[in-house]
Amino acid sequence: MTENQTETESNTDESASRPLEIGGLAGAFGTTDHKKIGRLYIFFGLTGGLLSLILHFLLRLERISIGDTTVLDFGSSNQYFQTWSLSRTSLLFFCVVPLILGLATYLIPLQIGAPSIAFPRASAAAFWAWLIGISIHVVTVFADGGLGIPEPVTQFAQGMDPEATELSILSIAMVVIAILLASITLIATIITQRPQGMTLFELPLFSWSTLVATGIWILTLPVWLGNLMIAWVDFKGDDSLRYGNVENMWDQLSWLWSQPMIFAFAIPVLGIAGEIIPVSANQSQRQYTLQQVGIGALGALSFGAFAQPFFNAEVGNQAVYVVMGLVVVLPVLAFLGGLVDTLVKGTPKVSAHLILALISMLCLLVAAAISALSVSGPALGVIQEIDSDWLGGIINWLKDLQGTVIATSVMEHALIASIIASVAGLYYWSPKIFGNKLNNNVGVLSGLAMFGGLLLSGGSNLINGFLDESESVYMANAYDGIWNQNAVEFVNIIGLIGSILLIGGISLVIFDLITSVILGKGDVDSAENPWNGHTLEWATQSPPPSGNFEEPPIVHSERPLLLSGGTE
Amino acid sequence: MNLRTTDLPTAPPVRGRTPLVATGFAIAAMLMYFAGIFGVYLKERALVRAEGGSWIPDKVTIELTQPGMIIWTLLISIFVMQWAVYSIKRDDRQHTLLAIGTTILMGAMVLVQTAWHLSQTNLVADEGPTTAATLIYTIVGSYVVAIVIGMVILLLTGFRTLAGQYGSQQTDGVVAASLYWYSLVFVYFIIWIAVFIAK
Repeated sequence: MTENQTETESNTDESASRPLEIGGLAGAFGTTDHKKIGRLYIFFGLTGGLLSLILHFLLRLERISIGDTTVLDFGSSNQYFQTWSLSRTSLLFFCVVPLILGLATYLIPLQIGAPSIAFPRASAAAFWAWLIGISIHVVTVFADGGLGIPEPVTQFAQGMDPEATELSILSIAMVVIAILLASITLIATIITQRPQGMTLFELPLFSWSTLVATGIWILTLPVWLGNLMIAWVDFKGDDSLRYGNVENMWDQLSWLWSQPMIFAFAIPVLGIAGEIIPVSANQSQRQYTLQQVGIGALGALSFGAFAQPFFNAEVGNQAVYVVMGLVVVLPVLAFLGGLVDTLVKGTPKVSAHLILALISMLCLLVAAAISALSVSGPALGVIQEIDSDWLGGIINWLKDLQGTVIATSVMEHALIASIIASVAGLYYWSPKIFGNKLNNNVGVLSGLAMFGGLLLSGGSNLINGFLDESESVYMANAYDGIWNQNAVEFVNIIGLIGSILLIGGISLVIFDLITSVILGKGDVDSAENPWNGHTLEWATQSPPPSGNFEEPPIVHSERPLLLSGGTE
Repeated sequence: MNLRTTDLPTAPPVRGRTPLVATGFAIAAMLMYFAGIFGVYLKERALVRAEGGSWIPDKVTIELTQPGMIIWTLLISIFVMQWAVYSIKRDDRQHTLLAIGTTILMGAMVLVQTAWHLSQTNLVADEGPTTAATLIYTIVGSYVVAIVIGMVILLLTGFRTLAGQYGSQQTDGVVAASLYWYSLVFVYFIIWIAVFIAK
């Protein structure tokens, strides 16, 4: 056999073993590659984030008036409510969840050394079902559908179409089923595809946080789906009685955006920060198992399927709810303490992803602290026996915080912490995901814009909560009982500036992705492992080849590359 | 420190119990779905009764014959489905297919009996819409969907068995399908007790 013959045979073998790659639209539509599916989630998640923040801005604009004139008039309270509810559903289901699923779908097989995601066709089906469902939902809300109306009406004359409403319900049900399917593929991947030597306690923190988050979603989202189906069956009837009454619909579903449930969508914040900060400090994470326990505890404290005020009006004063609201701050605080300890003991290198990760942790901590504040009234109520006027006054004042826009502030802080953490993840893993580094300065700027935006927007809701502005801002009587309407409106102007900053922050990220990745201006040369990452995803090419790894590895720690590299 | 996987020792192939784990979580999701609806059902029923009202309207009679037949059909299907698992573990594809086919047939029988039961009960026609009717239709309707999903899973499992994908060395698919089916029987047992017996 000549040398040339050997070379030819070798080439033939290579081309035979290489999987068929289909590019373009056909490749995108037909792909079962977890990396492509992950990128699609991220692209649409950022688009959805921009849409929901624009809606957030419009709603803020409506809450401001100059003299007796409202700056933006939605025409009817129904249309305001439809926009309000869409801003919540889209922020959660069109931005936060797809960004988390996108990063997880892309990275988890890589982090655990697997060649692919479990059930790749189910993962692709979940993505397309999610995209179709959320698109139909957005369209139907603009076509006078949505998830209910704010106040009782005798007919649909106020701009609500029953067929569009029905489609809104079914499309959001489709979105939830898709999320459940995606969660099952991720959790099955983490549990069954790990390499030899990697126990659950040696999982990278992002994978661990995804395991906890998807586990909680699998246990709680079906309950929400059940609420949705009850409302739909009643709505379909000739004469809706209770659950399908459009004025009752949102009240049955709103628990998903309230504490403690809202923290279930912020669990990956800990995982992403737990990946970025030790690498930035060039130091292995101290007390690793305790950090995992912290993530698990946040998961347990975010199980909110029981906290449904529509069916149990007293839940806000009940012990389990109050205790969960009070102690949710502890795992976040402990986790942040562990990260700061690692950072202080290491040699931190300042970068966009480090700043974004720290900001996201800070925002989550504030969310948990506000949550504790909002339930402190009922918590202190147990010592109301003490004969003290001033103490009783404080307790009653704290109790009145429930049902105000403070609940909105908790939601904003938790969900926007998730968005900022996802952006931190994008800047950290962009060499792995796209093959290009994103622009560090733009990342810092977007992080500061979103942080400033959240401080103003979430902070204004916190202050207005103290001024007794109702959480149901869509109701005609939302301003009844507030301390000072002028003060509330002034604070809302500050909130509006916050909304603009939030839009600016996410727009910068999209702009950076377009210039650095699509236009190819990002740094490609150092994309292989630019941060000296510790976990397995950095042990393969950037972006990884089909099949991810040349050989499945054996690992003996949660940071195999750090230990192998001998940098400890 | 630019390591590649070739720098790390190679692991033996991972042991896959992926279908079983995924089915376990899918069952957990389904049980939580029904638990949520049952929670609402029991809470609302207790409220109506606490106010001295009648949960099931007086004119409505819920016959127990069909639910009794359904629960017996489903209990027998557990043994039939276990027969499929037993057979596939012994590479007996003929009996595996026979058992899967029989279970699908039993699923169809459950659907027919449920449709007949609802048509006889006339929950809405006799008394007009009630919250009880809404919740019973939601529970039973969701259960019908879950049964149809189970029949589709069994059909796919049957095709894969026919194609030789499952055998004594790879039983996970058949075991996973059987686990889902057993969970369906468990859910109907709760419906039978909570909705039809203790109405």
